Amino acid sequence: MRRLAPLLFLLCSSLAAQSQVRTVEVRTPRPFGYFLGDLVRAQVDIVVEPGFALQAASLPQPGAITYWLDLRTVAVTQASVGGGSRVRLDLTYQNFYAALDARALEIPGFVVTFVSETDTGATTAKAQVPPWSFNISPLREVQPPAQEDPRNYLRPDGRVASLDTQPLVVGGAGFMAMALLAFAGLTWDRTWWPFAKREGRAFAACLRRLRVLAGRREDEAAYETALLALHRALDETDGRRVLADDLPAFLIRHPAYARERAGLAAFLDASRHSFFGPGPAATMQRLPLADIVALTRKLTAIERES
Amino acid sequence: MNDIRSGDAMLTDWREAAGRFERAVRGAVVGQDRAIRLLTIALFARGHVLLEGDVGVGKTTLLRAVARALGGAYERIEGTVDMMPSDLIYHTYLADDGRPRVEPGPVLRQSEDLSIFFFNEINRARPQVHSLLLRLMAERSLTAFNREYRFPNLQVFADRNRVEREETFELPAAARDRFLMEIGLEAPRDAEARRALVFDPRFHDTDALIAGIDGGVLDHAAMAGIGAAIQHGIQASPAIEAYVVGLWEALVRPHEAGIRLPGIDMSALIQGGASPRGVAFLVRAARVRAWLEGRDWLVPEDIRAIFPEVMAHRVFLEPIYEMRRSTIVPELCRAVFDTVPAP
Repeated sequence: MRRLAPLLFLLCSSLAAQSQVRTVEVRTPRPFGYFLGDLVRAQVDIVVEPGFALQAASLPQPGAITYWLDLRTVAVTQASVGGGSRVRLDLTYQNFYAALDARALEIPGFVVTFVSETDTGATTAKAQVPPWSFNISPLREVQPPAQEDPRNYLRPDGRVASLDTQPLVVGGAGFMAMALLAFAGLTWDRTWWPFAKREGRAFAACLRRLRVLAGRREDEAAYETALLALHRALDETDGRRVLADDLPAFLIRHPAYARERAGLAAFLDASRHSFFGPGPAATMQRLPLADIVALTRKLTAIERES
Repeated sequence: MNDIRSGDAMLTDWREAAGRFERAVRGAVVGQDRAIRLLTIALFARGHVLLEGDVGVGKTTLLRAVARALGGAYERIEGTVDMMPSDLIYHTYLADDGRPRVEPGPVLRQSEDLSIFFFNEINRARPQVHSLLLRLMAERSLTAFNREYRFPNLQVFADRNRVEREETFELPAAARDRFLMEIGLEAPRDAEARRALVFDPRFHDTDALIAGIDGGVLDHAAMAGIGAAIQHGIQASPAIEAYVVGLWEALVRPHEAGIRLPGIDMSALIQGGASPRGVAFLVRAARVRAWLEGRDWLVPEDIRAIFPEVMAHRVFLEPIYEMRRSTIVPELCRAVFDTVPAP
């Protein structure tokens, strides 16, 4: 709210009152440009000695003040400021004066009472809020020439400068590019399409194959295919063929997988029994396909971390 | 073999005997555990062995120790430039009474009981002698004195040193192919074993060392039977058959298998070799290894453990690469195992 020059009044009815009510200040947004029905706001700051409290009954009551002026609302806020107590009154008047020409009107002043109650008795102090004036203007057309069609009095809508959307578009595109880039990075990290055949992510590719296999059916052929898939992933990770006896050497070359030592050993043992020994039927009981998928999932996680 | 349980029990007993045999030899020859294991495999696979290595690493001692622990009739001969095949078969001399005598030579002296024939420095003998060995090794028979001798238990152990090339004769490909294994012997790397070999007087007197080995650990006469029982008792799954054929194919045609070695034209590397007999030997030895490991079915590790010794000397390189054989062939074997998928 734009505040114009504040009016400052000092009331000095008596020495005591002078010391009890320090200042009374009236602030108004503007002293001109009001029309019939406009709200006229004023802010009154009264600074009193500490200990003095506002007597609410002394405040002006909302309602008609004169035939042309109503007081709509009175709001009081108190704060202590610089060793004194500041009482701020927010007054809203409404002007009903139907002016025929531009003229100044005066809003009357009023007195506000403050009370300080001590053991020995009560001391009162009065603060005189001075009257202030504002200029109102008539609503009727006086200056503009008479128009046939009253709509012609309306002025065309103000032209609003069109906002420049270029920076927003550029910014949006930039963030979109960053989002796409981040998503591409995620795709790369998770070896989703089109990075499914990514170098050095053998277990991830194997896991996808195993999921397809596990979802399809559970027979010996699928089981052996699953074993082979994990074998190929191990081979690719190590860059050579990993046999069952090679597990310790493999874990020395790839220490990250050491925490799955037991799982890998079980898998290699199962593969050995399935392909070279008694056959897959017995092995499937010991190490079901679901366990192989779970092992591959853990290996994939390790592969992603390392 | 009708009663499976008793057959299994027999194989188990023999496995323990093989363990005792290995321990006995290991007591005399330190730091050569791998060579001893390979020799044990060769014994039970009924194959001939060629030992190769530097001078003084214990080739002869090892073979003598094995012969001693195995027991049975044993003959040895030293290869020389002027040796002729007849020197192996008979020995002519003038007796005390002035009359010429013809006695059986080293091969025939023990008659048909001969279980180990030990040919020292085989590459010093002429190709004629090697030719005689061809039949002796392949068919375990020999024609002499107008009759045919058979040696059902014979195993030929030979050694050669690879340092000298003067006055030596390279073994013909056919003779090399008849050896089950060619085992390279190195001085032990282990510091403890080296110290013992140098300072422990026990290892300085070879004769006493060999004499200290218990000679009755294995029943040499039953070796042929147990060898056959092992070959029948160890199963090979279709997967391992496919694996061996894959290895064979990759070894003979490394270029097509996608094997690349730096600085070598893979399509012009292999001249020939890797015979079907060689691959049959490979499976034979692998079955024995599976049995020693306590399994009754083959796994790829069995093949891999004996592959270089059984197959490397059967591969013949183009002459331009032959001089670098000792580095190329081990790399090729390693690459073959890195390339061919196991299961």
